[in-house]
Amino acid sequence: MSQRYYEDVNVDDELEPLERVPTTDMAIDFFGRDNPTNPAFADAEAGKRLGVGGALVPGLLKLAWITQYVSDWAGTEGMVRSVRAAYRRPDVADRPLVLAGRVVEKRVEDGAHLVELEIVTLAEGQPSTRANVQVQLPSRG
Amino acid sequence: MAIPEQSLITDEHRAAIGRKSDPVTVTIREEDARRMRDVLGDTDPRYADGTGIAPPYVIAMLGGGPRRGMPQVLPGGLLTQQEWRFTRPFRIGEQLQAISQVYDIRDRLGGRYGYSVLVTQGTDYYDADGNHVAAAMITITQFDPKMASGRSDE
Repeated sequence: MSQRYYEDVNVDDELEPLERVPTTDMAIDFFGRDNPTNPAFADAEAGKRLGVGGALVPGLLKLAWITQYVSDWAGTEGMVRSVRAAYRRPDVADRPLVLAGRVVEKRVEDGAHLVELEIVTLAEGQPSTRANVQVQLPSRG
Repeated sequence: MAIPEQSLITDEHRAAIGRKSDPVTVTIREEDARRMRDVLGDTDPRYADGTGIAPPYVIAMLGGGPRRGMPQVLPGGLLTQQEWRFTRPFRIGEQLQAISQVYDIRDRLGGRYGYSVLVTQGTDYYDADGNHVAAAMITITQFDPKMASGRSDE
């Protein structure tokens, strides 16, 4: 994990895409096997009955992936300040998701060096989640 | 159920907007942090065992979260938007006070649900000194499954 500095970032910079394959085991383990969750997270038939086409990928798991994706991009001296996601389409377990994103704004606010990013999860090339993420980066100055 | 001719949002529902809940104590648990980190394959050294710091997404496990006490106008619910905000990192073992409130309730006509109600609710988390640590917010689109092809809540 390399460190990214505010001065190194430019608007329209793209993040390297990252593929994730969500599974039902991941969904269950994410919340803990002793914690009750939506049955459709673990049961493809339950998901199909709801019109999803298979086991549903939890929104919270996708939000955690997006947070981790940007946090890794920023480096250990960066800090994700906020993540706001709109769930456009349900995602189905065992189908690959690609995380991708770009820098849309950078500014200094009250001494904090802030970068705004747009992140998407793509399923078969189509956005299923769109997120806006704000991260604070260290400055070389 | 036919599409209602007038809003199903009552004065009682509207009265919930801005009303803060009683605080609920939640704990940042090491087992949650470790398990979630492992599921995500997160090797960030800031959150490794022994650092005393939990990854930000542990907020997903905090009880007392945004769905607590959410007004239920229609029986079906689909999570359509979600937000996390972080003022500082979570510390393993720390106890936080969770205070929730409804931010907005509004009708929506049209789309795949016919008539739906969007409820936005959030929870702020404070440490023992009263300092803000984090916040979580969700928007649930409530609908009547009889009027729509149902979708599970994410």
